[in-house]
Amino acid sequence: MRIDSIDKLNRWREECRDNLGAHKKKIMVCLGPGCLAGGSDEILEEFIKVVSDRKIKGVSVEAVKKTGCHGLCARGPLVVIEPEGIFYSKVKKAHVADIVDKTVVKGELIDKLLYADETSGEKIVDYRKIPFYARQKKIALRNVGQIDPDSLEDYVARDGYAALARVLTGMKPQEVIDAVTASGLRGRGGGGFPAGRKWATCAKIDSDVRYVLCNGDEGDPGAFMDRCIMEGDPHTVLEGMIICAYAVGSGQGYIYVREEYPLAVINLQKAIEAARECGLLGENILGTGFSFDIGISRGGGAFVCGESSALMKSVAGEIGEPRAKYIRSVVRGLHDKPTVLNNVESYANVPVIIDRGAEWFASIGTEKSTGTKAFSLAGKVNNTGLIEVPMGITLREIIYDIGGGIQGGREFKAVQTGGPSGGCLPAEKLDLSVDFDTLTEAGSMMGSGGMIVMDDRTCMVDVARYFLKFLVDESCGKCVPCREGLFQLHRMCERICEGRAEEKDLAIMRDLSEVIHRASLCGLGQSGPNPFLSTVMYFEDEYLAHIRDRKCPGKVCRELITYDINDKCTGCLACISVCPVDAITGEKKKKHVLNQDLCTKCGSCYAVCTYDAIDIE
Amino acid sequence: MKFRFEVIPSLCIGCRTCELACAFTHSRDKKPGRSRIYPIAYADDKYVPVVCLQCDDAACAKSCMFDAIHRNEETGAMEIDQERCVKCMACVAACPYGCALVDDIHDEIVKCDLCEGTPACVQFCPTKALVYRRL
Amino acid sequence: MLLAVIRRQGIDIPALCHHEAIEPTGNCRLCTVEITRENWGGWKKYVTSCLYPVEEGLIVNTHSEPVMQIRRTILDLQLANCPNAELIQELAAEYGIHETSYEKQPEGDNCIMCYACTRICEVLGCSAISPVNRGHDKVISGPFGEAPPDCIGCLACAQICPTDVIPWSDKDGVRTIWDKKFDLVACKKCGKTIITREFADFLIERRKLPREYFNICDDCKRQELADKMGGIISQAEEAAL
Repeated sequence: MRIDSIDKLNRWREECRDNLGAHKKKIMVCLGPGCLAGGSDEILEEFIKVVSDRKIKGVSVEAVKKTGCHGLCARGPLVVIEPEGIFYSKVKKAHVADIVDKTVVKGELIDKLLYADETSGEKIVDYRKIPFYARQKKIALRNVGQIDPDSLEDYVARDGYAALARVLTGMKPQEVIDAVTASGLRGRGGGGFPAGRKWATCAKIDSDVRYVLCNGDEGDPGAFMDRCIMEGDPHTVLEGMIICAYAVGSGQGYIYVREEYPLAVINLQKAIEAARECGLLGENILGTGFSFDIGISRGGGAFVCGESSALMKSVAGEIGEPRAKYIRSVVRGLHDKPTVLNNVESYANVPVIIDRGAEWFASIGTEKSTGTKAFSLAGKVNNTGLIEVPMGITLREIIYDIGGGIQGGREFKAVQTGGPSGGCLPAEKLDLSVDFDTLTEAGSMMGSGGMIVMDDRTCMVDVARYFLKFLVDESCGKCVPCREGLFQLHRMCERICEGRAEEKDLAIMRDLSEVIHRASLCGLGQSGPNPFLSTVMYFEDEYLAHIRDRKCPGKVCRELITYDINDKCTGCLACISVCPVDAITGEKKKKHVLNQDLCTKCGSCYAVCTYDAIDIE
Repeated sequence: MKFRFEVIPSLCIGCRTCELACAFTHSRDKKPGRSRIYPIAYADDKYVPVVCLQCDDAACAKSCMFDAIHRNEETGAMEIDQERCVKCMACVAACPYGCALVDDIHDEIVKCDLCEGTPACVQFCPTKALVYRRL
Repeated sequence: MLLAVIRRQGIDIPALCHHEAIEPTGNCRLCTVEITRENWGGWKKYVTSCLYPVEEGLIVNTHSEPVMQIRRTILDLQLANCPNAELIQELAAEYGIHETSYEKQPEGDNCIMCYACTRICEVLGCSAISPVNRGHDKVISGPFGEAPPDCIGCLACAQICPTDVIPWSDKDGVRTIWDKKFDLVACKKCGKTIITREFADFLIERRKLPREYFNICDDCKRQELADKMGGIISQAEEAAL
């Protein structure tokens, strides 16, 4: 069915809304990455089977919908019954029949599946009232978790492609650029470059060919916002790109998806084909004469290919190595043509900016960082998951009000943001505003949205070592400051963790960091020393403890800690059975003995002991 | 081209002064370069001074895959740009007259460059067998 | 680019990965200079002069302390990675470094990853070798670590390498490079060899040169020219009599 006019689109939208509204109840099964790993695909199948068996009036099999990431991954697998928003967490396949018979048919709640507040124990039925959800503001993630990503109808029913229709029939390309500029939208991939300015520069260059690229590489460890948008709401990415293409004058675009996201590729491909079939993508879009097509380019598993010039090389089929960007890619990019490259989340914001206006968007957030930002909240918080909040919110609000505080009631130590290019901020900085500039001034950066919370059982030197190792592995290897510099920086960090460093090493590392930052060819190297620099800025005492006292305050670095069994031991034999090197000996009901010479500090005994009988010093 | 380099073999007596002059004109770091011109005997006491004739459609330039050989419009000579040359020897193998040469002392590929307009061999040839004249 | 201007001024700064026959890529970072503008309020940027375009109003410092620190550290790091590379030892010594202050890599060759070899092979039109692997494991190699099928044995890569790490040999009429063997074209008259048969075929095809040009060596060609000229002179002399 080809939608070749705005009228047809509007009429179809009404139809889609009616169809969706016809369901008395909707059973939304989250198939986001976390829930999927928890077996929610089987739960979905079971719902389809049970609903089809039961033949409930007003609730057909079409009322069972799979969705993208609903958000509260810590409580997954998640199932939401609409329209009430009944939120069931930690659902198992065995619960499905009950959910259908009791909740869907009779409207009864299943108490043990309801969300219970961490501290008060209070049960909250409607997910929209759970603080984790209530304090969010969804723009880029507006459809993720609410629609079936395979359904173009779902997308259209929720105003999908309305912005595109308005742009193609009622706005000149310059007007689109002006709207995006006025909205203050800055690149959501971490760079924070004003999107409107980028589009304007590209449009002005005299060229017969221009490209519009979407960066779906999302290489930061712990970040999965873009993944959820590509998997859960692929059409918003397409719509954003088409609007951009119209604004700058491009006929061809590509979405670069990292190799590790096969489901995103599948869902995007399905969306592209559905959009093409309806005339919303490809030749003569919506009958307006504007043509633009999108292809998918898959990465090969390299973090460095998230860097814009390396990404464009990879799309062109060449080796993914960055180039010195004194001539920016917006001027000479893919195949040496002017190219706009924006992040997935950036494009997801574009249709909403057009629909609701630049002024509305600019009224959210702060003056210099307008709108909202999606974050993957991970680490030692209670409510790990996918969130979207207005810019200007504080770290404290995110970690405590939304994140529900630190797991196990432990103490907050640091929050890592911005991936390997970012840094760690301590408790004194919790009241900082989360936006493009404030965190950078403090020595970290907001980045693409990865947020990892750490408790007191974390060693900051070990954290620096982890991120440096990551960068050493992911460095393309072309230039010496990054390839050799980060390598040596990592080795020195390792020596600190092993208790083999000297105090002068810190000065050498600081000098080396300065050279790596100044002399590296691309952003990976230029921001490479950040894990070290930010941790040594706020946690220098920990570094000194490793160097001077040969101690690890976070009780992590293996060479510097010892495990031992204290008097609380009841002789239950549990640790003896898990010790991989048989370092523990003892009899039932007699205090066990740990042989220090054999101990590899793996921590298995500590993990399994329920009597608090293992000490780590 | 404003000049022409001519060889008159009947006047050549094989004294090899041209060879010496060329080698010393192209010396560097106190070491003489390889001569680009050689009087070669074709019969008893009969010589032809063999030197690059700066061909119109030079095989040396054609064979250079790195664009290191160009015509100097002033002097008319085909010159090797030593900063571009990678010593692949394509020109040495291609020149039909064997006038692109390997200079082992300076580790370069060399050819007659007409001494930037004042060819030393012409200056020193006692019998005027070598001529460099304006057209 | 800035480097050309700097060199024209007679200022000497190292630029290991730079060569006139290939496009600059800014791999070695040694040609880094400090740039600023009057309206930057003292803010400085560090760029590689081989790639940075010449612009009106640019103030360039080739030897400021931060720039010297950059060059010193890079050479120090290179020395750690390629301790036996003579060129690096010499350059580092010029900057006051005789021993590396970092952890030495016990093995490894003296490849400084300047990519000159791969770039020249691209200019040649063969692209037989390329960088493979990522980061510290990066090496220059043929496809899949095997003898590169597109290599024609021209030796451009070995010749352009600033640290001479590409091994090759000519023995008994056979050239070996990149684990590949090539037959050298032997002069029909004296047997002297200059280039490989594959390279000759390549030049004949790509540049439309006659095959006969490659059958004999330069020494014998000069003799042939003398003989041919001599023949014409003798004929002319006889005719005059």
